[in-house]
Amino acid sequence: MLEKHVHVLMGMFGSGKTEISLNLAACIRQERNPVAIVDADIVSPYFRSRDLTEVFAEDNVEIIAPKGAFRIADLPTIPARVRGVLQSYDYSIVVDAGGNDYGAVVLSSISGDINVRQSAVYFVINPFRPFTDTVNKTVEHLSRLSRRARLRVDYLINNANLGNETAESDILTGERFVEAVSEASGIPVAMTCVMNGTEVSGNSFPLFRMKKYLKTPWEV
Amino acid sequence: MTEKTMVKGNEAMAEAAIRAGCRLYFGYPITPQSEFTEYMAKRLPEVGGSFLQSESEVSAVNMIYGAACTGRRVLTSTSGPGFSLMQEGMSYIAGAELPSVFVNVVRGGPGLGDIQPAQSDYFQATKGGGHGDYHAVVLGPGTIQEAVELISDAFDIADRYRTPVIVLADGMLGQMMEPVIFGKYRDPDSLPDHSEWSLTGAGKREPHKVTSFNIDPYELEKMNMRYQAKYKEIIKNETRYETIRTEDADYLLVGFGTMGRILGSVIRQAREQGIKVGLFRPITLWPFPYDQLKKSAKGKKYVLDVEMSTGQMVEDVRLAVGDSLPVHFYGRTGGVVPNPEEVLQALRKHTEEAE
Repeated sequence: MLEKHVHVLMGMFGSGKTEISLNLAACIRQERNPVAIVDADIVSPYFRSRDLTEVFAEDNVEIIAPKGAFRIADLPTIPARVRGVLQSYDYSIVVDAGGNDYGAVVLSSISGDINVRQSAVYFVINPFRPFTDTVNKTVEHLSRLSRRARLRVDYLINNANLGNETAESDILTGERFVEAVSEASGIPVAMTCVMNGTEVSGNSFPLFRMKKYLKTPWEV
Repeated sequence: MTEKTMVKGNEAMAEAAIRAGCRLYFGYPITPQSEFTEYMAKRLPEVGGSFLQSESEVSAVNMIYGAACTGRRVLTSTSGPGFSLMQEGMSYIAGAELPSVFVNVVRGGPGLGDIQPAQSDYFQATKGGGHGDYHAVVLGPGTIQEAVELISDAFDIADRYRTPVIVLADGMLGQMMEPVIFGKYRDPDSLPDHSEWSLTGAGKREPHKVTSFNIDPYELEKMNMRYQAKYKEIIKNETRYETIRTEDADYLLVGFGTMGRILGSVIRQAREQGIKVGLFRPITLWPFPYDQLKKSAKGKKYVLDVEMSTGQMVEDVRLAVGDSLPVHFYGRTGGVVPNPEEVLQALRKHTEEAE
């Protein structure tokens, strides 16, 4: 899975795509160089990958997003460089598009540049979020976003969390939920995300240990 | 799933309004509160409510005015530029004594400003904004959970006093995510009865009149005296604040909303460095807790007020504290959020001066 050339994160608004994208890129960077994150989020005004541009540059991970004043503008623009990077095989790439249908529409505009055999498309699920709190609703959103993005979803990601209050039991509850989504959709589960070293045992899926990058001013 | 949900501040306040029995929303999207409008567009039809995206905030506020006349719970949300457009309507609504709730998710100003968090709409919210001798109750939540609770309280206060209530949030509170527990659904038909004055179709009864107008100055003065009597009651009954470790503190920090939260981190770090400091956090910004702040500040060496503005609430802090001790100010503006370290620096500087 991680040997793929392009990793695309799809999901509902606030499911955790950006945090996973940043961590995924950092993880891939340990194996390969160069690595780039495509920040194609045209929806969120705060807490975006591009906020970490300088931090990731230190580790030689490039974050591709609108530059200069456009970096912090809420304009729906995608830099031209995104297609160039996707078409070149030099980079390992993580694509962080925005949530909901807006994100899927952006993905659809670049889906022609994503080589299906060389890519992995993930659908991120946090069952503690509104609108993905039942299996049926989640499958419905998944199918719709996949159609809109013109990309087939290869894997599900369990990102069950309640922020800083996440307990082991929440993560395991999430596994059962995502397992049910997997059964209903026929899409396998890639991993379970765990933030900041929460202890987890008895898990069904491989753990992906993450570090929190997107912090509030009082967490700095 | 568990009873906790992971939500963005904007979504949380919207859901809290629905739980509080609000079924009427009129508004216009604006960053950083657009998720509020979007959430309402999705959720209100599910609960049999009405959502309408108006052509501007001027029309939104007048829809609020009209809908509030029916005595039903009604809410709008916006950010600075939109809230400015609503000020004429706010004044009419205050004059017509209509229960209604306004959420301002404040961003950097003035003018178009930017889309980052700010608290620079404090004057506008607490000192009027519109014309005439009126007040709106202003609530300043510090966490998403508190925002959820204050939205519910905002409706209750609006109903109890027939007044507009403003929830003054900021972009950070609107955009960040936290786990929250929502309250129970309140049945819109079980809410306070406004049939004595509301406009529901006169039928065979005497017609009701809702207006902010009286051409006779003596009559208009009487209306104003009635408003003022009501404001006195609100000051007496609704003033709220929170204090953290003020009893043994040598110095007192003051901040509201998100800033109050950052000051919470400052207190922990300062105390580790041996600086004994406490926090006074006003929760109602109007009515401002003057007497309570005066009491908390008593015996301290100074007060440091911190805001995401160039200094607005600090005027109320000075009114409360008077000349009894120095009141210092630290602020960042334009959407820059002060971090705990720079507040600590300001704290150390003033402490050295005081010693």
